[in-house]
Amino acid sequence: MRRYLRIYANFLRFSFSRAMAFRLDFFFRVGMDAIWYAVHLAFFWLIYRHTPLLGGWNFDQVLVFTSGFFFIDAINMTVFANNIWSFPVLVNSGELDAYLVRPVSSLFFISVRDFAANSFLNLIMASGILAWAIARYPGELGVVRVVVYVALLLVGTFLGYVISMLFLVPVFWMHNASGLREIRFAIGTYGERPHQIFHGWVRTVLVTVVPLALCASVPAQVLFEGITPALLLHVVGVTAALFLAFLWIWSRALRAYASASS
Amino acid sequence: MIRADRLSKTFRVHKKAPGFVGSVKSLFRREWVTKHAVREVSFHVGEGEIVGLVGANGAGKTTIVKMLAGIIHPTSGDSEVLGFRPWERDNRFRRQIALVMGQKQQLWWDLPAADCFLLLKEIYRIPDAAYRERLDYLATALEVTKELNVQIRRLSLGERMKMELIAALLHAPRVVFLDEPTIGLDLTAQRAIRDFLLKYREDHRPAMILTSHYMEDIETLCERLLIIREGEIVYDGRLDAVVANFADRKLVTAHLRAGEPIAASNGNLADLGDVQEANERVVTLSVPRTQVARAASEILRRYPVADLTIEEADIGVIIERIMRARGDQKP
Repeated sequence: MRRYLRIYANFLRFSFSRAMAFRLDFFFRVGMDAIWYAVHLAFFWLIYRHTPLLGGWNFDQVLVFTSGFFFIDAINMTVFANNIWSFPVLVNSGELDAYLVRPVSSLFFISVRDFAANSFLNLIMASGILAWAIARYPGELGVVRVVVYVALLLVGTFLGYVISMLFLVPVFWMHNASGLREIRFAIGTYGERPHQIFHGWVRTVLVTVVPLALCASVPAQVLFEGITPALLLHVVGVTAALFLAFLWIWSRALRAYASASS
Repeated sequence: MIRADRLSKTFRVHKKAPGFVGSVKSLFRREWVTKHAVREVSFHVGEGEIVGLVGANGAGKTTIVKMLAGIIHPTSGDSEVLGFRPWERDNRFRRQIALVMGQKQQLWWDLPAADCFLLLKEIYRIPDAAYRERLDYLATALEVTKELNVQIRRLSLGERMKMELIAALLHAPRVVFLDEPTIGLDLTAQRAIRDFLLKYREDHRPAMILTSHYMEDIETLCERLLIIREGEIVYDGRLDAVVANFADRKLVTAHLRAGEPIAASNGNLADLGDVQEANERVVTLSVPRTQVARAASEILRRYPVADLTIEEADIGVIIERIMRARGDQKP
């Protein structure tokens, strides 16, 4: 474990050295994400000008939920995103070879080697928005609920990574992942909305098979409605089950890996 | 240290007719072709040995290396490297091997090599003292000490390859796979890398498998050769034995004394062998081994010879002939 932390420290060092070298890109990314946050908040603000409740949540609750989603997204953009998007390229170009011969987990390597230092400021910004949204919330939340909420958001971040990888891992067999990547992008929108606005099988899918609702929406539900062991167990259980399923598929994928001609 | 036992690898490849119509057809009906990249290959490599793996493009060299390095699974057959089955990717196995790919860069493009080496130090758990000692040895031997703190992308191709070699050897691997390590390099850089590999072998005695399209690499570095043709090993033996086994002719060259008349009765050169060159200064014939003595004495008798040489055919040419011959042909 300590060795992996030291390896990760090296990744961080590399990423910050690189990010500082490209100043303009560094500030451009911060500006771009700030606009993205503003557009999202404005979207809900507009909706709540016409309705007091959305899926049973008022504006203050949706603000906390959306801030939680920003927080998850910022961690994902900082820690995983660059790696996830370049993963199909590694497989198709044969660059994965270099990671398979190293005595470390190849999954660890390809998942976190590229830390997006230029998104790190956004993570600070998103954390600030989340803290502000929780602080201005008019109802009583309590410290324990807030701590559990943040913990669930971290679980949700990991779950988001697992879902993305599950969508991309077929590249080992299909050799082209652009279609799957588009689908992942498209369904991502479902995770950006409170899950109560969906009904029937869509809602069932969103909390089980493609559990995007467990990333930000269900944690917000726990925050507002109180901690129920069944719900906590459901979030952790689904996350663990999907991760185990992903590990199994990953091992099959490495077996099928054909590398690329030199 | 390396044992391959009837290793085979087949790939299923999608075949598409050319043009737009072919693309549309393939959308609905796929035609698949099974490609036998490697067929029942068996060999072993011992400690301190550098074995050359040569073959034409697509012969299966890199596929063999990738199976032995644990990157891809074989379709059938077995292999053992340092007592491990490579494709099980045991960390104890991966800690003792290295793979250098001339066509693929493994170091971080935007960072100095020294930074990348520090990451490898953590990955391979190299103790501080051993790391400093090895880095000093490798950088000195490859003459890149001054370039260690320069960004990889600012280095020349030759310097980059030297850094790749340092990255591969920092953890003192017992088995090294070198897949075209000199590809694209100028002659000076090629020679420097060859000299370094010889010195490294002498000092550390790892088992090495080298693939290269440059005969100079093979001739300088390898005592033993595996020639691959269409996925099969067609020769496994000493490099110098290739000549004895496959070269049935020698080159006889006579340099003639200038200004001396050539006897009118010198007959037809073609009855002595295949004429490679014939003018008033030089006569070169390719002669069957058994006829060399007779051809030489006839040339001495018929021409005003200043100097006569008898050479083996060029080894590169022989190997190329073996590589290119079809399965049913004698090279």
